Amino acid sequence: MLNLRMKSGRNAILAAAILLASTAIGGLAQAKELTVGLTSDAVNLDPQAGEELSSNILFYHIYDPLVRRNADLTFGPGLAESWEIKDDTTWVFKLRKGVKFHNGEEFKASDVVFTLDRLKKSLMANLGANIASFKALDDYTVEIKTPRPYAVLPNDLAAVLILNEKYAKEAGDEQLDLKPVGTGPYKLVEWVKEDHITLAANPDYFAGAPKIDEVTFRPITNGATRTAALLTGEVDVIQDLNVRDVDRVKADSRYKVMTKPSLLNVVVSLDQRDKSPTIALDKNPLKDRRVREAMVRAIDVNAINKVIMNGLSTPSEQYVPASHTGYVEGASFRDMYPYDVKKAAELMAEAGYADGFTVTLDTTNNRYVNDQQIAQALASMLGKIKINLQLNLMPKSNFFGYIRVPSDKSSMIMSGWDVPSDDSGSMYSVMFYSRDKKEGYGQVNRASYSNPKVDELIDKADATSKLEERDGYLQEVTRILMQDIPMIPIHYEQDLYAAKTSVEMTPRADKFLWAYEIDIKE
Amino acid sequence: MSVLGYTIKRLLQMVLVLFAVSVIVFLMMSFTGDPVFMVIPIDSTAAEIEQARRLLGLDRSLLSQYFIFLGDMLQGDFGRSYVFRQPAMQLILERLPATIEMVLVAITLATAIAIPLGVYAGANPNRPVSRGIMAGSLLGISLPGFWVGMMLIFFFSVRYPLLPSSGRGDTVEVFGLRLSIFTADGFAHIILPALTLALATLAIMLRITRAGMMEVMRQDYMRFARAKGASRRSILFRHGLKNALIPVVTIFGLQLGDLIAFATITETIFAWPGTGKLLIDSIYRGDRPVIVVYLMLTAFIFVAINFLVDIVYTLIDPRISVK
Repeated sequence: MLNLRMKSGRNAILAAAILLASTAIGGLAQAKELTVGLTSDAVNLDPQAGEELSSNILFYHIYDPLVRRNADLTFGPGLAESWEIKDDTTWVFKLRKGVKFHNGEEFKASDVVFTLDRLKKSLMANLGANIASFKALDDYTVEIKTPRPYAVLPNDLAAVLILNEKYAKEAGDEQLDLKPVGTGPYKLVEWVKEDHITLAANPDYFAGAPKIDEVTFRPITNGATRTAALLTGEVDVIQDLNVRDVDRVKADSRYKVMTKPSLLNVVVSLDQRDKSPTIALDKNPLKDRRVREAMVRAIDVNAINKVIMNGLSTPSEQYVPASHTGYVEGASFRDMYPYDVKKAAELMAEAGYADGFTVTLDTTNNRYVNDQQIAQALASMLGKIKINLQLNLMPKSNFFGYIRVPSDKSSMIMSGWDVPSDDSGSMYSVMFYSRDKKEGYGQVNRASYSNPKVDELIDKADATSKLEERDGYLQEVTRILMQDIPMIPIHYEQDLYAAKTSVEMTPRADKFLWAYEIDIKE
Repeated sequence: MSVLGYTIKRLLQMVLVLFAVSVIVFLMMSFTGDPVFMVIPIDSTAAEIEQARRLLGLDRSLLSQYFIFLGDMLQGDFGRSYVFRQPAMQLILERLPATIEMVLVAITLATAIAIPLGVYAGANPNRPVSRGIMAGSLLGISLPGFWVGMMLIFFFSVRYPLLPSSGRGDTVEVFGLRLSIFTADGFAHIILPALTLALATLAIMLRITRAGMMEVMRQDYMRFARAKGASRRSILFRHGLKNALIPVVTIFGLQLGDLIAFATITETIFAWPGTGKLLIDSIYRGDRPVIVVYLMLTAFIFVAINFLVDIVYTLIDPRISVK
């Protein structure tokens, strides 16, 4: 493991110093190094500047949130030691004492206030949507108020990473993007754009020094090259192993392949307006529940799983995974509406559409795994019940503006949705709450779905600070949605990793590969 | 006309070209979707979207955005990337050395192989070796770069682990530029991508050289040169090649510009941290400031190379003068 690569004279000295330091402190015989092949380079290292995956992975190495989201989507203390609810909308967070930022500054309540303040004005203001106000009660206590009772505030806070006020003000936005300073388990050593990012362990990390002393992230966009880099030993772990390389890597005993169902649910929304933009009929057939049920029954998710996804997808039972609040034990689209073309055709006839109709499906061709092929499969499956599905495929840079609510060009939209906060409410309130009724609700309601009962239940869920009550209301919403079918859930994509067998790691549910949880066997 | 007058004329032309490029790219980018949605979370509210628009300067009309861009540019500010928030020019310039380095190795490789082989094949068109060379050049033109790249990785990195598969390897700083070729590890990293990039150029230049040589070989002065007793080597290279060189130099210039600006595929395959990948990523993300500056810089490079090529013409053939 002790292979010191000379990146440049200066860096070599720096690396040597780090190596020496870590050996001296940890008393280790050898410094552990890990090289990770990512799909792309981080864009920013300022956690309030963007949210794509590679940057997110780096953020959590360098910074810490108040509340830690664990690998299995449970939540626990981060920079906040504990928290309590004072009244329905007031939360008090006790901060950890003696935590130091990488620049030596001590972590204090003022840093939290600064971070939240800056967040509200940033591109990522959405992360603080459920925070109304905040203030420091003393150096180690922060009070946060929510606009209404909100039982899952800690889950939201897991996505808010704490900046050092002094450093952020001194450095300015541009430097903060390039030279981050946090409290996290790793410090930035060097970032050569598109080539590598090197991090060194923070020996003073509050939860204990990391086991791996130096982590290097290398962006390797092309999937086959990523596999090659693993097979040649240039990297130790790769993200998003190519599906066609799975067998090859598995066959070699020096490597292992790991899979993990992702949180990204691919769903097809069905327009609920009286007249739908791409259907040339006076009445929108998608408003008829029987038509919607027929469509679910006509789609063979298992065939999509086998033929298109090579078995690397998990057909979705509901709109959110089983770990989430609002998930209803035992309920599944696949049991309620099993694949049955004959029954589907009967339902279509019953609804008066025995001869079918023509409708357009909007989706991406470069955002989700095999999105284009899935769309084509849907067209042929729905063709069997005489629904003529026209495909409107576009790159993601066009797609998200095109389908944006009020989605006045779309009837059916296939897109993905993931809920890393472990709470179905965050999805239901933006996706199934009636449009334009309340600020912050229904803004991505792509189906124009509106059910007063659902709105009422979401209001109730958002009016209690008790998690069990919230769960109860949201479960009820799930039951109604599964009856109403405003969207057809297809499947969860599966995350694929490959690594040398000596690398001990468990893939995280949120995809945020974290070296702090990884070890290398001797 | 003097070289100076010629230079001024070309500079004026260049300003026009750059202006046209900026207008076209600005117009084109207005059709490629709203960059705001590439930056913010999908479930942002209308107010959050407005805030993001304001932060990125996208709340103004396209026309006023363009004039702001022009005004800033005259003051040397080429705008900031929506995604990276860094100056667009800086993003490009910090990646440019990697690309230029790879392209220079590739084009040197291509020229060093193409010209001798082309001269040989043109001087001896009927020998089996020449036919072999020509068949090989056809392969070089028709094989897609990404396939060649993958095959090279498969054979030379995975099957026979001789060379690294990807990345730039160790670098040293020379005059503030980060370069790979001066370290052993860096040099090992540059071989496969440069070879991939060189292949098509090599094949084209070889064929042009051969065609030129075949043409020249029929000329009377070649026979006279032989009659006066010049050595075969001198006939081929001093009398023959020099006269066949004009089209080769033209293609060389065009290819050089092309490789610098659009080495995207090779860079992606070998995870080479150059500018081509930045361009493709920026297109996917709708990052207009980067795309505009990138294409303007590309136009500049093409104009500059063509200018140099024109100067080289006069050196090769004194009968040609710039005007």
